[in-house]
Amino acid sequence: MQTHYSDLLVIGAGLSGERIAVEAAQAGFGVTVLSIVPARRSHSSAAQGGMQAALGNCAMGKDDCPDVHFLDTVKGSDWGADQEVARMFVDTAPIEMRRLAYWGVPWNRVVPGKSFYFKGGEKFEKVEPEDRAGLITARSFGGTAKWRTCYTSDGTGHAVMCTMDNRCAQLGIDVRDRCEAIALIHDGQTCFGAIVRSLRSGELSAYLARATAVCTGGFGRIYKATTNAVICDGAGHIIALDTGAVPVGNPEAIQFHPTGIVPTDILVTEGCRGDGGTLLDVNQDRFMQIYEPEKAELASRDVVSRRMTEHMRKGLGVKSAYGDHLWLDIRHLGDKHISTKLREVDEICKYFLGIDARTQLIPVRPTQHYTMSGIRTDKDGAAYGLTGLFSAGEAACWDMHGFNRLGGNSLAETVVAGGIIGAKIAEFLGGHEVKFDTTLVRQAGAQAEERIKAIVSGTNGHEDVYKVRGALQEALMDGCFVFRNGPDLEKCIDTLHEVYERSGRVGLRSNGLGANPELAVALKIRGMVKLGLCIAYGALARTESRGSHTREDYPERNDRDWLTRTLAYWPDGAEKPVLKYEPSSPVYELPPGDRGYGGGKIIPADPASLTLIKKEVKG
Amino acid sequence: MARLLKLNVFRYNPQDPKSVPHLQTYVLDETDNMTMFIALNRVREEQDPGLQFDFCCRAGICGSCAMVINGRPSLACHTKTKDLPDEITLLPLPVFKLIGDLSVDTGVWFRAMYDKVESWIHTRKEFDPKALEERMDNAVAEQIYELERCIECGCCVAACGTARLRDDFMGAAALNRVARFVVDPRDTRTDKEYFEIIGNDTGIFGCMGLLACEDVCPKDLPLQNQLGYLRRKMGITALKSLFSRK
Amino acid sequence: MSSILAMHVAQPSRRDAYLDWLQMLSGAALVLFMWSHMILVSSVIIGPGAMNAIAGFFERTYMAQIGGPLVFAAFLFHFVLAARKVPFRAEKQGVAWAHAKMMHHRDTWLWIVQVVTAMVILIMGAIHMWVVLTSLPISAEKSAARIQGGWWLLFYLVLLPMVELHVSIGFYRIGVKWGVIKADARSGAKKAENILFGVFMVIGLVTLVRFMFLAI
Ligand SMILES: Cc1cc2nc3c(=O)[nH]c(=O)nc-3n(C[C@H](O)[C@H](O)[C@H](O)COP(=O)(O)OP(=O)(O)OC[C@H]3O[C@@H](n4cnc5c(N)ncnc54)[C@H](O)[C@@H]3O)c2cc1C
Ligand code: HEM
Ligand code: HEM
Ligand code: SF4
Ligand code: F3S
Ligand code: FES
Repeated sequence: MQTHYSDLLVIGAGLSGERIAVEAAQAGFGVTVLSIVPARRSHSSAAQGGMQAALGNCAMGKDDCPDVHFLDTVKGSDWGADQEVARMFVDTAPIEMRRLAYWGVPWNRVVPGKSFYFKGGEKFEKVEPEDRAGLITARSFGGTAKWRTCYTSDGTGHAVMCTMDNRCAQLGIDVRDRCEAIALIHDGQTCFGAIVRSLRSGELSAYLARATAVCTGGFGRIYKATTNAVICDGAGHIIALDTGAVPVGNPEAIQFHPTGIVPTDILVTEGCRGDGGTLLDVNQDRFMQIYEPEKAELASRDVVSRRMTEHMRKGLGVKSAYGDHLWLDIRHLGDKHISTKLREVDEICKYFLGIDARTQLIPVRPTQHYTMSGIRTDKDGAAYGLTGLFSAGEAACWDMHGFNRLGGNSLAETVVAGGIIGAKIAEFLGGHEVKFDTTLVRQAGAQAEERIKAIVSGTNGHEDVYKVRGALQEALMDGCFVFRNGPDLEKCIDTLHEVYERSGRVGLRSNGLGANPELAVALKIRGMVKLGLCIAYGALARTESRGSHTREDYPERNDRDWLTRTLAYWPDGAEKPVLKYEPSSPVYELPPGDRGYGGGKIIPADPASLTLIKKEVKG
Repeated sequence: MARLLKLNVFRYNPQDPKSVPHLQTYVLDETDNMTMFIALNRVREEQDPGLQFDFCCRAGICGSCAMVINGRPSLACHTKTKDLPDEITLLPLPVFKLIGDLSVDTGVWFRAMYDKVESWIHTRKEFDPKALEERMDNAVAEQIYELERCIECGCCVAACGTARLRDDFMGAAALNRVARFVVDPRDTRTDKEYFEIIGNDTGIFGCMGLLACEDVCPKDLPLQNQLGYLRRKMGITALKSLFSRK
Repeated sequence: MSSILAMHVAQPSRRDAYLDWLQMLSGAALVLFMWSHMILVSSVIIGPGAMNAIAGFFERTYMAQIGGPLVFAAFLFHFVLAARKVPFRAEKQGVAWAHAKMMHHRDTWLWIVQVVTAMVILIMGAIHMWVVLTSLPISAEKSAARIQGGWWLLFYLVLLPMVELHVSIGFYRIGVKWGVIKADARSGAKKAENILFGVFMVIGLVTLVRFMFLAI
């Protein structure tokens, strides 16, 4: 087994991983970045809509400032966010956008003068200010008071990803693709790096480092219907959970996006609704304004997803071979708008549905989209449980999103958190020395080899890994989707335990040689089921509705008992997760209150139990 | 009526001493709205679990899934089976190193390209976190983005006769990358500096104008125009230095 | 800064740029020549008198005596330049051929056509020029005699389409390579290229027919 050494090992070359790498490399440390796919193919590049930052340049973003962004973020999270973190985020975001501009992102800019926009299908006029000409502009996104989402046409994630990867190339950072981390090397106290399988040759190597950062993105692929890339299967969460020491925060906090296309579940951007697209039912009538008179289509994602499901349950969905769906209508936005501002959407319709969005309706339904849940870290990005282990981006529960993250906040989080946490890691590296215990490293390697041998030779059984994965995905769709309730969750848990059992008996049908894809899934499947169980147990325990976690049997948000964050641990050898809890936020700059949309009753918290902080309002 | 599709797939695993390159045939029933992504995954899950191919976003935006489909380098995930005949032949992209079956190593190729063309903004300015961003005309930003849209799928390189004849040819993707920085006012590189990178037969003067790059690019990048523009620009740069050199 | 660095680093070579210019210019010059050549030769359609007059003009001004060898030189020069891009090893030829077959792609085929016609032109064009230039002066009668001999007719029936293909494709490809023909003008340019080819083929064939029936 080959051994590589660096100061910092970053697992994941998406925006968050590379941003950390850049920060640490600029501080003079040696960084190795690993990725399953070439860095630019990371799922960050799929984000179309944009990044939130309160620059306040465009007409509709006038008087925007980090404070307003803060309010939106915390309300959006349904008060599940860590407010210290949210504050840090909103204050840093504008600087980070400018830094990205400096590094080369071709942000769209303010064009002074009159222009039109659509809201709720109606046409309005706005006048962009002359003195802001050429500054970074923004568009509207769900759940925000101001137009705050910086963008580059319809490919923000892609453009920023290119720039970040360019920056890595410029700094000479060692970015290696087709390297999959399959286990962390640790002694229960400290993390020393990871065991990595090459997806070129199948060989294992040890990557040792004084600090390790897990930036592996979300784990949507444990659901059947998801907008996520096929590599978003939770590998990073799994290796963290497997240590037994590191918890997954808020596993039950999973976001569903209102507009995945049917049947391939590809996301069409929120920008469609932001720019004035509307949702129609089987009769081609708008319905969102019935449920949400004020925000209508622009209410936050969880609300829209829920309302769509509700409407379809009334029998007003469109029947299709793939189940019910609704329509997204962007016909009235016109050819020019669709072929420039919504170009990717246009292409998706053409390439994956074979329809023309200028004249036809787009079939959509709610789809798993984002995991607020993730490896729980403190505000410096240090994972709970192991020294030297960090996490950022969607993989982490840093926790600025709480129970629902706003559109445009996660892409912004990747770079903002990456910058902040990268600097913290550099600080940590400055004062942290480790002794690598070669026995420990060899043991970790041998253990991984044993596992592989057993799976390849079918020592434990001959379960078909793809069937096991299918069973996991179905179970979660049934029990842990947009709506949840006690009996369904209990049934889901029973099924998942069965699946968990089966996952231990997986054996390959192919020969397992080289970059064998069946083996790659087989190595993860047990961990994927563990994640599923964490979600189900977390959701069953949380007897309230908050953000995207909606319990039909507990419709009210219960701040009295549940202003908490779930921490799911999986101790070595345990059969199910152990759930612990901590307060949602160490301090409350914005005390819990009404979000102003989404409705629902609130059981208030005892004010004495909250540490409120007053922030002097400037100027 | 649902068709039966016949997929002839290139098989070879260099890591398996027993493996020899051959075409293997799979038969599959077509379903509504089937893409090659759905088809290949079904083959893997139902018939041949060891089959290697690459998908990531499955939405035509990451560039992972390029392969030669009935003779054309294209993205498998946005190829609909209903647009193809009953018999479909799938080969890995040429030019790039084979990893196994339909999977090739584009990652290493493109990282080497970044270094060759110095794929980043060259500037002497320092970033000032307190200052407003530098202004830019929106039209310029859109022009840059237009060229930044490349997803590095490698189709243009695999489709280029020149790239197949000489392995030191940069390919349209690399030349397009240079064009992206040429139009960016933030990059201070001069024509002469760009000439050092692409002013020879491994660069723009190697291009023979075959235009397969333009015709296969799944993102419809304006490669033909950019290549023409660069050839003129670099050609003129060379002529200028003919007269200024003493 | 870059100028300081440049003192210690080898200057980048401009050779490939110049060669590319020369390849294009030699090609373009030959295209122009072929068109003038066409005027000379096909003037016979109007009548042997016309052709003889033009030939006589070239003769008197010594353009044939000097220009002929110059064209020959340009021809070889262009060959040497263009040959840089032609695969001569069997293995590479195999790759190029397999690639074109795989791609089913028009512009890739055009290039193959250009290379193949070039090889034919190299041999036949050289023979042709040798024969004509060693039996100056040019006259309609001499030419007609050659062509009515039979073998030369066959010779020209092969050479003519080769030349016209090479010329029209070469002309189009110069436009594409140097960005004169933009993407949206491409299908139009292709049509123009086809028309060019067609027109010159017709003129050439009519010329040959005229030579066949010219009384000597
Ligand atoms: C379709 C879609 C659209 C979106 N649009 C928006 C938007 O408009 N605005 C917004 O704010 N957010 C959006 N999001 C969310 C946002 O894009 C993601 O949350 C964010 O990009 C995640 O970035 P990341 O760096 O954390 O992870 P990713 O970009 O997912 O990167 C993960 C990296 O980890 C690597 N990796 C994974 N496992 C391993 C392993 N075991 N070993 C080694 N490497 C590994 C991968 O190869 C990859 O490089 C969208 C998400 C989706 C799915
Ligand atoms: C009357 C004779 C000829 C004429 C008018 C002619 C004309 C042209 C023209 C206009 C081009 C395009 C130039 C460019 O792309 O830069 C060209 C290209 C070419 N010519 Fe010729 N040519 C002639 C003879 C020959 C001969 C004898 C050869 C012998 C090998 C030849 C080989 C080529 C090749 C290989 C190319 C393609 C080069 C490339 O695409 O890079 N040509 N020719
Ligand atoms: C200086 C050089 C040249 C001279 C003086 C010349 C002269 C002539 C003459 C006199 C003819 C009439 C036929 C004959 O007499 O046999 C002819 C025909 C022809 N020549 Fe040339 N030629 C020259 C170069 C070339 C070159 C370089 C090519 C192409 C490679 C070429 C291609 C042809 C063809 C195809 C014909 C038949 C014409 C037709 O059918 O219209 N010639 N040339
Ligand atoms: S230019 Fe087009 S074909 Fe080439 S790599 Fe980029 S996207 Fe693919
Ligand atoms: S196919 Fe190749 S030769 Fe030039 S025009 Fe495109 S790079
Ligand atoms: S899988 Fe991403 S482009 Fe096809």
